[in-house]
Amino acid sequence: MSAPATLYVGFLVAAPLAILIAYSFWTQTYVTLDKTLTLQNYRDALADPLVRHLLLRSIMIAGAVTAVTVATAYPIAYFIAMKANKKTIWLLLITIPFWSSYLLRVFAWKLILGFNGVMNSALLWMGLIDEPLTFLLYNEFAVVLTLAHAWAPFAILPIYVSLQKIDPSLLEAATDLGNSKFQAFRRVTLPLTIPGIIAACLIIFIPTVGDYVTPSLVGGSDGKMIANLIQVQFGAANNWPLGATLSLMAMLSVGFVAIVLVITGTALGKRIR
Amino acid sequence: MKMQTLTAFAITTALCTGTANAGGADLTVFDWSGYEDPGFFGTYVEKHGESPTYSYFGSVEEAFTKLTSGFGADLAHPCSDAVRKWVAADLIQPLDESKLTNWAALLPEIKEVDGIVIDGNLYMLPFEWGNTGLIYRTDKIADDQVSIQLLADPAYAGKIAIPDAASSAYALASLATGNGADYTNLSDEQFQQASDFLRSIHPNVRFYWSDAGQLDQAMTSGEIEMGWAWNQSELNLIWNEVPAKMMRDIDKGIATWVCGYVHLKSSTTPEDQIYDLLNALTEPASGQYIIENWGYPHSNAEAFEISDQATIEAYGFDDPKAFFDGSLFFDAVNPELEAKMLSEFERIKAGF
Repeated sequence: MSAPATLYVGFLVAAPLAILIAYSFWTQTYVTLDKTLTLQNYRDALADPLVRHLLLRSIMIAGAVTAVTVATAYPIAYFIAMKANKKTIWLLLITIPFWSSYLLRVFAWKLILGFNGVMNSALLWMGLIDEPLTFLLYNEFAVVLTLAHAWAPFAILPIYVSLQKIDPSLLEAATDLGNSKFQAFRRVTLPLTIPGIIAACLIIFIPTVGDYVTPSLVGGSDGKMIANLIQVQFGAANNWPLGATLSLMAMLSVGFVAIVLVITGTALGKRIR
Repeated sequence: MKMQTLTAFAITTALCTGTANAGGADLTVFDWSGYEDPGFFGTYVEKHGESPTYSYFGSVEEAFTKLTSGFGADLAHPCSDAVRKWVAADLIQPLDESKLTNWAALLPEIKEVDGIVIDGNLYMLPFEWGNTGLIYRTDKIADDQVSIQLLADPAYAGKIAIPDAASSAYALASLATGNGADYTNLSDEQFQQASDFLRSIHPNVRFYWSDAGQLDQAMTSGEIEMGWAWNQSELNLIWNEVPAKMMRDIDKGIATWVCGYVHLKSSTTPEDQIYDLLNALTEPASGQYIIENWGYPHSNAEAFEISDQATIEAYGFDDPKAFFDGSLFFDAVNPELEAKMLSEFERIKAGF
């Protein structure tokens, strides 16, 4: 009955995951793969302070990206949903950055933040600085900024949808009952958009933890993340089993943080009321 | 660059009017991008009517991963340090020296490089070679002041870049700590010294470069003043009239690499056609073309004699023997040490 669907999902989702899990219990010696099951990779990875450090840094960076993106996206979504007349045009404008490739946008930020980039040239021209600022690029700040810009539409759209669904009569009722505009926002609008905010957080947090290209291009020596270490295992180190283990550990950490996010988000939403 | 276009045009024209055998494109080469330039293998195109088919990789590690996962081609173009690993993974087959018409004309030193011949079998036909060395801005640092040890000077905080590649970084560190000769087989103590050196320069590193263009731009703008890089970067800087050059003093430390073509086991094209391409690649004329238009030194000794001598001198390979005798070679590092280098380098980059 549901056999084709099961096969389809099994082939595309379960099988690759099963391969990844299998690899994580094998070991690599030079060019040969030892298929004896062992927990050695997990022991090595857990004992390694570098893995912990990079995993933690990835979560912190993704957390910062999520916070910055959602905080900046909310007013935009609010404006479009509540104030703007030509909603379609505004939504179209927001998606414009998406017409170019993600990689191009990362390079664009490199041009803006670079040593002889747009920002430094402008500041030099205005006479505000004597020599180019070097703290703009090749650090965690550059990674957060680039990712926050790249993912902005993913935060704006779910929040916009949840704002759109709010029945205006609820806000009228709040005002009738003596609430100021701010109180109405805090007690009606905000709690009703919590699902949108949680969705936006998840959509941004989950993929950015594992982002590889942004840290490698703008992260410099301080902005490397866990995906960069995973890439080394699948590439130069030719140690797929360890790479698989690290990938699974990253997945589990992301899953854990996501669950915590949903639970606290929902709890917060209830408390506001 | 103009020369390149002209030659390409001439060859395309020859291709259209020629009556040579078809099927030249049946041969597939797994290569770095850029090596599909017909100027590299003119006699093959004359004989077979068209260029081989090219498929590309971005790094030798990526090529290895793809080949071990089942990707098939006739020839591949790794560097000498990868050959032992490729043989161990059963990816390549020995070459027949008697069918290589230019073998006798190759630089004698290049044939001695580790990885070309393994256990009496010839596995790689050397094609091009070059240096990895310290490139510096001559307007910022005087010739008699520059040294590898200068990389650790706090005065250059944020002003240097080194490759995001463990082997290259450890080659640099081995030279800096006086252990260049033992690079492929560092003792624990020597390895520790090299790691300490890399840690000492880490605070100065602006970025660990993964593509040469990033380094070239940073050198051009003055963002960095020294970088451990390939001679390709030096050429780019010369061509862009940036006051920069590579420190070629063998006593101060410079490394040499050799890359070439290997015959894959997955090859399906007739052997004669494969040797036609290998022979075309090592022709003196191909060598002259690559030296004059690309600025890469070639494996054929005769190529140097017929090339523009001023160019050869400007690009710094008028004395190949000196480099082959006195520089650090990117030979295959013993696998255990390589694994140690990789994991330690990740630690150093993360500030541990």
